Amino acid sequence: MRSRTYQNSYAGLVALSNQPHAWVWTGIGILILALMPTLFGSFGLNMLTAIFVASIGVLGLNLLSGVAGQISLGHAGFLLIGAYAQAILTTDYKVPTLIAIFLSGLVAAIASLVVGIPSLRLKGLYLAITTLAFTFIVRHIVLFAEGITRGSAGMPVDALSVFGFSFKGDVRFYYAALAMLMLFIIMTLNLMRSRIGRAWLALRDHDIAARAMGIDLMRYKLLAFMVSAFYTGVAGAMVALQTRFINVDTFSILISIEALAMVIVGGMGRIHGAILGTALIIFLPELLNLGFAAAGDNFKTLMADRIYEVKGMMYGIVILLFLRLEPEGMAGIWRKSKRFWVQWPLSQ
Amino acid sequence: MNYFMNLVMSGLVIGTLYGMVAMGFAIIYRATGMVNFAQGEVMMLIAYMSYTFATIPGMAFIPLLACVLAASIVLGLLIEWAFIRPMLGESMFSRVMVTIGLAVVIRSTVILIWGVEPTAFPRPFGNAVIRFGDMALYPGQIFSLVSLAVLSLAMWLFFRRSRVGIAMRATSNNETTALLMGINVRRISAIAWAISAVFAAFSGLAFCLMFSLEPEISQMGLRGFPATILGGLDSVVGGAFGGLIIGVVENLAGGYLGRGLKEIAGFVLIIIVLMVKPYGLFGQREIERV
Repeated sequence: MRSRTYQNSYAGLVALSNQPHAWVWTGIGILILALMPTLFGSFGLNMLTAIFVASIGVLGLNLLSGVAGQISLGHAGFLLIGAYAQAILTTDYKVPTLIAIFLSGLVAAIASLVVGIPSLRLKGLYLAITTLAFTFIVRHIVLFAEGITRGSAGMPVDALSVFGFSFKGDVRFYYAALAMLMLFIIMTLNLMRSRIGRAWLALRDHDIAARAMGIDLMRYKLLAFMVSAFYTGVAGAMVALQTRFINVDTFSILISIEALAMVIVGGMGRIHGAILGTALIIFLPELLNLGFAAAGDNFKTLMADRIYEVKGMMYGIVILLFLRLEPEGMAGIWRKSKRFWVQWPLSQ
Repeated sequence: MNYFMNLVMSGLVIGTLYGMVAMGFAIIYRATGMVNFAQGEVMMLIAYMSYTFATIPGMAFIPLLACVLAASIVLGLLIEWAFIRPMLGESMFSRVMVTIGLAVVIRSTVILIWGVEPTAFPRPFGNAVIRFGDMALYPGQIFSLVSLAVLSLAMWLFFRRSRVGIAMRATSNNETTALLMGINVRRISAIAWAISAVFAAFSGLAFCLMFSLEPEISQMGLRGFPATILGGLDSVVGGAFGGLIIGVVENLAGGYLGRGLKEIAGFVLIIIVLMVKPYGLFGQREIERV
């Protein structure tokens, strides 16, 4: 049986991980992911890439909703801004694609101030509704500012290329997405164990108490919004780079709900949970497809005609089931099963 | 001037729909302190159910209304019993997420059962325009105006005069104290959901009588948010006023400021209002202590 290690220095407390085996497992995990292109065809690879890209955005939403406790129904709006910023910056202003990715995140972060500033005075549900309003407004602006965004026609997007090396093609973009996800995971881990992350946790648990303890609410709430929007904006840029064509319809309100479902299914405020949740939600339609294919032709046509509704229903049911049965989400299941095996045969 | 009056009038008519949606939100917020994000979807489900009732041969309007109201009360109680009550005591976030999950499930189920094509709803009052001096209104629009007036009067009396209404105010004020004073808090929550479903029924019927039966009805839930916020989440009668104001503002913005603004005018308005008054125009300020 393993016991928690006792730390007697601050450096030990804030270390990324103090357990050597964690580094070994992480290394093995990365190695397996790096070998994926040899195992999967382009369909599986595209799906994994989609998971990586979505995970970046979900990590951002998780920081805002799970860690800082601010509900947002507006992340489809930030995703939309990120994607359009990427498209416009690279085609109209000839910004190098890699720089454009981070600039898109920055544009989304600045846009988030529109919601972030009211959030200083709004709590909980009022805030959720304001963020929803934000998504509506962004969609309309994009649709009607035809001179900049091409309106409802959509925009093609240049492929990612870094210093002349083009990431065109499934395998190359897979590695780009993997690298980007790694970067954001490390960034999140670092944020979470800094003063900022702890301030957000305090803010979530009781904002007035946090304020009494010397946390500047205005600064940290705005920061939470901006960081979260930055992540989502980058995810939007990556979505644009993956699909190579964007349109307002790609970023419906359902995306915001899908993202919240990912956060809840994964487990609020947990980093590995966010990634597990994203993977589960993206895989589910495929599992459903397989199930329906086995169930016969009738179901197959239903799936083809009404894919949007079937998917929506599935998200809803998954949200309801997790909230009722496992509020800690996949992270909770992971923790419980890990403890079961670590403490075996003494586990209960 | 005539153009202006027409815009105001049709704004008021749309506003009645927003108002009824907003009142549905507000009553649940008042009794249980949560927002039901599935309000628009409940409205959609009831509208489709009432279509099924209305197509029964020989169905007159009064029996139809009775059937729809009964069905909506049962639906409200059912949702409360199956989804909301088990979540009692959970965090606000998960309770709200349950209603969001529910919203998606109801919308998809309705579309899977009834399809996406807009369908003409039977017109029990005919389609003749009724004139009041300069103004001309369709029967469906009059139904909507009358419904809102009756419902908001009923709600005002309910919260002022009836025992249940006062108990509901007490519950929203302090759940534990209300419980200790002998109020059945669970029943209050069930009643609130049933009343909210009745609002959904009226607004759903009014929508169908004015336009047609279409999946867009569920959008009314989202579009009703500005009205709810403007009136204050906890003010039921305020929601009715909020709805009328938003309806008129949207129509004027669409008519004078240009296309595309109609859909977002309400949302822009509430973002501005919330910056000045964070609890809406008629809402009560919550005072929090550590």
